[in-house]
Amino acid sequence: MNEFLAMSGYGKYLWPAFALGFGVVILNLMLALNSLASAKQEARKRLEMNS
Amino acid sequence: MATWTWFHRLASPPHVYAFARRWTPWFGGFAGLALVVALYGGLVLAPPDYQQKDAFRMVYVHAPTAWLSLMIYTTMAVAAAVGLIWRMKVAHAAAAACAPVGAWFTVAALGTGMLWGKPMWGAYWVWDPRLTAELVLLFLYFGYMGLRAGIEDPVKADKASAMLAVVGVVNVPVIKFSVEWWNSLHQTATVMQLGKPTMDGRMLWPLLLMFLGFALYFITVLLIRLRAELLRRERNASWVREVLT
Repeated sequence: MNEFLAMSGYGKYLWPAFALGFGVVILNLMLALNSLASAKQEARKRLEMNS
Repeated sequence: MATWTWFHRLASPPHVYAFARRWTPWFGGFAGLALVVALYGGLVLAPPDYQQKDAFRMVYVHAPTAWLSLMIYTTMAVAAAVGLIWRMKVAHAAAAACAPVGAWFTVAALGTGMLWGKPMWGAYWVWDPRLTAELVLLFLYFGYMGLRAGIEDPVKADKASAMLAVVGVVNVPVIKFSVEWWNSLHQTATVMQLGKPTMDGRMLWPLLLMFLGFALYFITVLLIRLRAELLRRERNASWVREVLT
């Protein structure tokens, strides 16, 4: 396990790179879902005001 | 005829909204599966490189993020051009939905590249043509988003930002071919080149699967953001009431 994490001495560069890359993947999904949820909420409020 | 019907449907916000809602779980599911299998293949199954050892595994995160940063910009520019030429609101919405995702993936490409550059070149950053052109891409994304945010009238914002997106697309081939046109520290293409890729098959399949996973992921996020854009733009349309009740 330690050998795997060490990645022949490049672990200190490799793991932050994967954390950044896949962090951006997760973050973008969350931002998109948040944007959709807030757009739905705004639209519902508008519909309630108009009805 | 069928092609035109399909194209006209693309211009219809309720149709696009329904399409996006129906297909998002499918694209998302396959993207997740591809990314998990590709990660296992790249980090565990692929053998170390004979020169770079395990540092070569950086390719499994750097190459897909860099590729996505270019693919998203190209998608954004094509959508913006369609919006300008055919005055299609959905196309402008799609272009606007692309921008923040593309900017984030450009940041990821630059960051992962820096983390690969340090052990290989001895520096996190060099003013290399490839790196500089990728940085220009980030500024183009910022410019596009800034322009949209700075113009209050949505129609004018669509037009102005679309023009910037279309003009800026010239930077995409510059990034792609910079390693061939100028002396560059950055390596030339190993996968996407005419003829046979120069990678061993055991290293190549996780990378190709990673590309597929990232592409499906982008479609997923684009469809979600597009739905949000359409709801905001079509605030007074009757179909919005129908889909929300």
